[in-house]
Amino acid sequence: MDKKNVILLTLDTLRKDVLGCYGSDAGLTPFIDSLCEKSIRFTRCQAIAPYTQASFPGLLTSSYYLDQDDHGKGKTLSPARVMISESLSKNGIVTAAFHSNPYLCDLFGWNRGWRMFYDSMEAEVSDEVPYIKGGEINKKVDAWLGSHAGSGDYERFFLWAHYMDIHEPYVPSKEHVDKVDSSINLSPQEMFALFKDVILPRDASNPETVALLRKLYMAHTIEVDEYTKEFFSILESRGVLKDSVVIVTADHGDEFGEHGGLSHDGKMFSELIDVPLLVYAEGTTAQNCDALVSGVDIPPTIAQLFGLKPAQAFQGTPLLPLADYPQKGCFGEAMGKKGRQKETDRPVYYYRENDLKIIYEEEPDTWHLYDLAEDPAEKKNIIDSAPAAGEMKEKLKPRIERSR
Amino acid sequence: MLDDARIKELEEKVAKSKEIFKQAYDRFKPEEMRLIWSGGKDSTLATWICRQFCEENNLSMPKAFTIDEGDAFEEIDEILHTYEKEWDLQLDWGRNDDVLEAAGHTLNADVEVSKLNERNQAEIKRIGFDLQKFPFEAESYVGNHLMKTVVFNTYLEDNGVKAVFQGLRWDEQPARTKDEYFEDVDAAELTPAHTRYRPILHFTERDIWDATHHFDIPYCPLYEQGYRSLGAKTTSTKTCDIPAWEQDLENTVERAGRRQDKEAAMERLRKLGYM
Repeated sequence: MDKKNVILLTLDTLRKDVLGCYGSDAGLTPFIDSLCEKSIRFTRCQAIAPYTQASFPGLLTSSYYLDQDDHGKGKTLSPARVMISESLSKNGIVTAAFHSNPYLCDLFGWNRGWRMFYDSMEAEVSDEVPYIKGGEINKKVDAWLGSHAGSGDYERFFLWAHYMDIHEPYVPSKEHVDKVDSSINLSPQEMFALFKDVILPRDASNPETVALLRKLYMAHTIEVDEYTKEFFSILESRGVLKDSVVIVTADHGDEFGEHGGLSHDGKMFSELIDVPLLVYAEGTTAQNCDALVSGVDIPPTIAQLFGLKPAQAFQGTPLLPLADYPQKGCFGEAMGKKGRQKETDRPVYYYRENDLKIIYEEEPDTWHLYDLAEDPAEKKNIIDSAPAAGEMKEKLKPRIERSR
Repeated sequence: MLDDARIKELEEKVAKSKEIFKQAYDRFKPEEMRLIWSGGKDSTLATWICRQFCEENNLSMPKAFTIDEGDAFEEIDEILHTYEKEWDLQLDWGRNDDVLEAAGHTLNADVEVSKLNERNQAEIKRIGFDLQKFPFEAESYVGNHLMKTVVFNTYLEDNGVKAVFQGLRWDEQPARTKDEYFEDVDAAELTPAHTRYRPILHFTERDIWDATHHFDIPYCPLYEQGYRSLGAKTTSTKTCDIPAWEQDLENTVERAGRRQDKEAAMERLRKLGYM
């Protein structure tokens, strides 16, 4: 994959299992599915955390959430973390970012190292759509590409774009809802009321309501597939697609009652941790990679694609060439929050190796172990019976000790 | 030096502001109204225009009101004290003493919610927080609400204030572009009904500086050092070291430092369900 540019497209809150290319038969994502023809499809990519502010340190700084004392409300990204944008811009690569996630805004220090940084924080947003929609992000990307790469003879760049549209409140358009289930006739106000009355209190008690929320989520997934299609057509029309590697992934998934909750709180189960990862480049033939990889591997991969040595601070491993990627386990960590993070929240950690996943919650002091091959839904905690439990605990313990 | 056309334009803008003051005076008595005067460039201009309007029409000035958030620039205090005397104004100071005491008058100190009075506790709940403690800092959403909004509402209530003049401008930030010259605010929980007049909405940042210099209106020396907008001392930042009016006002953002950004970010997070 010897290309001039690298583009990272991150889709907030996108579960792996709603994508056709990861086994869904709901037909929500024809465009993303079609990318697989020219992509390496990573079948077992893990988010390093179940929510944005804990996961993005992996995706953009190749570090873990609890590595630095910069987690928690209103704190600024520690300078000890090296952003991929900083590392690249030091090496003369043009960097540009377009997103609308307030956790990643300039106030919290995520603007470091970008030549162009758009975080939308000055735009006005509504309660129902509290972010800039993917279509607007695309327009900004298009305008920037026009000014940067319009002439054909341009400096190579790293572009990061991020769509918020799947994130709650789920208030999809009627057109998208109809594609999922045309019998749903909810007004935007009614959908927003579900956010207030059901999602915010994390009330997963009514299976019908949870199923309805899931359908609204799926409608947003269709919408994001359309933005992704438009994004690629912009790259094409601006003449940069053929010269770019495009990485498509998500920061975390979303829960629909699988473990008693809704949204994405401090849990480490697959509905939140399993994310898609496609590495697309024209001229590539479809292939799969079953290695266990995670968000921290993205920044070193980007550096490597530019022919640079990954920054020393990066903790992940370049994904390419695939043959060199080591067989290893992967870690994740977050605060065990529910909704808003509080000072009393305690950390939660996971370590996965092959099909075994161990989870440790500090509050209450609890270990879980799941065999994902036999129990993909993570319903049967085998911590007291599995012979590997002791060994798995030992592997996770150093992570737990270090942030105590 | 400004050319004649520009001077005429500024005079027209001042005249427009006087019309807004007239509308307010047609509806309310001077003792029912207050000028919100922070000591910053915008509210100082509004105060200056109000004085002219009152002199020209032989009306008495409303009282002025300023909020001390416990983190003020000395230079701002000095402007307020100096021109309170020079302009013969009656200036009331509002403060949330309960929070200040609970924080030991120390920035960044933790404030125990249980130590606050009932009103402050109710306010914290009202804005959707369920906290045991919060840091007393200008950037904190809760702190900002308690130190500004609550002080404002309490003052209106205690003094029977029915209308206020705010020095807001359309071009300050995108969120302002829909503001109107006057807005009737309905009574709500812990908020008395009142009317907000915004007599200088149509002034741009450039207009403010041109008018300030042309009409010889006083301003805080911090603007000369490079500040574009003055908020709390620990959170306002200089954009650069040249005087505000020499900066590229048209193509760069005027911001009161980080508080405004933080409010925007916190508001977004709240809308996404994180608050």
